[in-house]
Amino acid sequence: MLHYEKFTLENGLTVIVHEDKSTPLVALNILYKVGARDEDPDKTGFAHLFEHLMFGGSINIPNYDEPLQLAGGENNAFTNNDITNYYLTIPATNLETAFWLESDRMLSLAFTEKSLEVQRNVVIEEFKQRYLNQPYGDVWLKLRPLAYKVHPYQWATIGKVTEHIEEATLDYVKAFFKKWYAPNNAVMTIAGNCSLERAKELCNKWFTPIPAVNVPVRDLPKEPVQTEMRELNVSNDVPTDHIYLAFHCCSRYDSDFYATDLLSDVLSRGKSSRMYQKLVKEQKLFTDIGAYMMGELDESLFVVEGKLVNGISIESAENAIFDILETAKTDVSETELLKVKNKALASLVFSEMSIGNKALNLAYFEMLGNADMANQQENLYNSVSSDQIKAIAKRILVKSNCSILRYQAKQHA
Amino acid sequence: MLNRTISPEIPKPEKISIPEPEITTLENGIPLFKVNLGTQDVIKVELVFDAGINYSTAPLIANATNDMLDEGSGIYSSAQIAEMLDMYGAYFQTDCGNDFASVTLYSLSKFIDQTLPIFNTIVSEPNFDKNEISTFAIQGKQRLAVSLNKVDFLARRNFLNSIYGENTIVGKMVKAEHYDALNHDTLSNFYNDRYKKGLKAVVVAGKFTNENIESIKSLIKSLGFSKNDSTNINSEIILNPEKIYITKKDSVQSAIRIGKKMFNRKHPDYFSFSILNTVLGGYFGSRLMSNIREDKGYTYGIGSGLATNLKDGYFFISTEVGSDVCKDAIKEIYFETERLRNEKIPTDELRLVKNYLFGAFQRSIDGPFALADRQKSLYLNSLTNSHLEQYLTILAEITPEKLLECAQKHLDQSLFTEVVVGP
Repeated sequence: MLHYEKFTLENGLTVIVHEDKSTPLVALNILYKVGARDEDPDKTGFAHLFEHLMFGGSINIPNYDEPLQLAGGENNAFTNNDITNYYLTIPATNLETAFWLESDRMLSLAFTEKSLEVQRNVVIEEFKQRYLNQPYGDVWLKLRPLAYKVHPYQWATIGKVTEHIEEATLDYVKAFFKKWYAPNNAVMTIAGNCSLERAKELCNKWFTPIPAVNVPVRDLPKEPVQTEMRELNVSNDVPTDHIYLAFHCCSRYDSDFYATDLLSDVLSRGKSSRMYQKLVKEQKLFTDIGAYMMGELDESLFVVEGKLVNGISIESAENAIFDILETAKTDVSETELLKVKNKALASLVFSEMSIGNKALNLAYFEMLGNADMANQQENLYNSVSSDQIKAIAKRILVKSNCSILRYQAKQHA
Repeated sequence: MLNRTISPEIPKPEKISIPEPEITTLENGIPLFKVNLGTQDVIKVELVFDAGINYSTAPLIANATNDMLDEGSGIYSSAQIAEMLDMYGAYFQTDCGNDFASVTLYSLSKFIDQTLPIFNTIVSEPNFDKNEISTFAIQGKQRLAVSLNKVDFLARRNFLNSIYGENTIVGKMVKAEHYDALNHDTLSNFYNDRYKKGLKAVVVAGKFTNENIESIKSLIKSLGFSKNDSTNINSEIILNPEKIYITKKDSVQSAIRIGKKMFNRKHPDYFSFSILNTVLGGYFGSRLMSNIREDKGYTYGIGSGLATNLKDGYFFISTEVGSDVCKDAIKEIYFETERLRNEKIPTDELRLVKNYLFGAFQRSIDGPFALADRQKSLYLNSLTNSHLEQYLTILAEITPEKLLECAQKHLDQSLFTEVVVGP
């Protein structure tokens, strides 16, 4: 149970305070409601590149990292298809330094050519390191456009191609900032050794003067219903075959989210799961296999990925996956249900071990609608019935709703 | 009017109080560390054994023994063990380092009475079943095949091979045939030698009651494992610098690993070198990051570190850079190590690093699991809280002159091994 207080500044910034006096530290988390789905199709990877630029100096402060480190703080950030999230932890005595830094970069950036030039290179190296120079690293660059034909989830956060990043201009950087980086498009959480009064005082001093802007109403194209199976076969210089199946499923906002999440758990959570026991241990078709849902804010994907044992044909592996998926449509026992609920509960409890994670959780659920949802998750998972899980399996785990990527090892002569 | 150009005042870091560990000694002399803290109703129980990689007679024996403990025990199959643990949402985790191996149970506090007996079974009666070993080998060989396509993996293993040598278990490169050689007897013998006779410490962290502690004590008692005494004495450090280039064709990035064998945590220069390492490559604002990522954009990340074992340690710089700028990146790396040997670190920069490290230290003891890990690590290295107090004192007092001296002594590039994997 996370206790918290919530208030909203005049400029629309929502602030959540979770006080914990047992730590000498404070975590500050700022979530901006903008992600890769908000990019132009010919300027992909931009939300993430922009995240890098947020560290390149702000309007009044030439460097973000130096003063933060001088104050004993540590920070990082991540971007996904829906959000961009910045977080830091700092000794409570230096909390004001964090407010100073974060408020200035919410106000405006320095927008220097040098910073853009360098971060373009850094992000291209990140693109290479994580997506191009790793075996199977480009899976999502291929699977997303197979599964989505219209919706911007068709590209990965890193972007479609490095060229989009190379072509980013300073004017576009400025326009992106103006459009999305505003107090009324953010949620801020303060968790740790900071009282509500101190939080309010610091917020008023540093964040209240930042003007609100008109944030555009998001109007993204809805992905049409898929009507037939899509297949893509890739042959590459990798040691073994992998197979990826992506089924369209509900969004994070949907009440079916919890049952869909538990469906993936029934199939593959832990070593006792159906997939692991049947396909890895008994039939020895895969060295590893997993099912999970992406949990994105628009209609999302339910993914199965399997790594084949060398020598197993991809057809038989694929058939075995569909056979297992079939079992979830008719059979989810009460014991199995209790097991995945207990697992979900444990995940929730362990996800709140650090003040940093508490801060992120509160910000995330506030973005979803209400921070209090953080405290309702256990009940929401507990209320799922096995009939619901089976019904969802019947609805989504069908071939006409599936995109298959067969990633095969190139045959060498 | 608010002046946003001026930083809020940053006071000198406050005195950090380090909680003393709460230790109970069990009948067989094994220490039980208790850290009862936090907001979450979870318990972590960790058993540490003198069963690290160094005790293996061939590659993978220590790792496989550790990893296979929960793959069938006593009357339970691997599937049944997994089912019982999953039923209570518990996690069982294994870890195998060079010196020590450990097994950990993470349980919701409300289920600890149900999960402890399962944990007990896993630890006390592992079967090391032939079929399970075969599955482990198949999985391991395929993971290895994938890793052998990664430039950073190749750089790391060739670096360790160079500094430790092919004749040591840490330096020897794992091959597929080492997986094939694993069998019931080897693992079982290793378990009998290193686990049953090598229980080193028990760590309990999270939110627990006295009853929980009593249950854990009786669990340990029923195991009947004995304690082993290992010590950490610095071994003689022999350096054999090499330049190794490995071709991985078509790679768009090259992995670089540069470094050398070093001392362990008991060496008089340990703290000053750790601080020096932070300046060089130990944090986001480090010289390597500032120069090679933030100024030149050659890489997504670069860092340096000092890894320590009981008998020695090693220093390393590692990065993956665009293949076209690999030579320039290496030049800049040596430019930065040399600069530390030729010029004193400016006082502003040193103040920043000190403050950063004080903050990092606070983070490293925040929360029950982090604090328990710190206390465990001290004990395993035969150290006490005074080691940390000493660190904080040195951190507060260290001067640019002292760090210059330290760099001159330890960052001589002619003694570095350099490994590059690229096209």
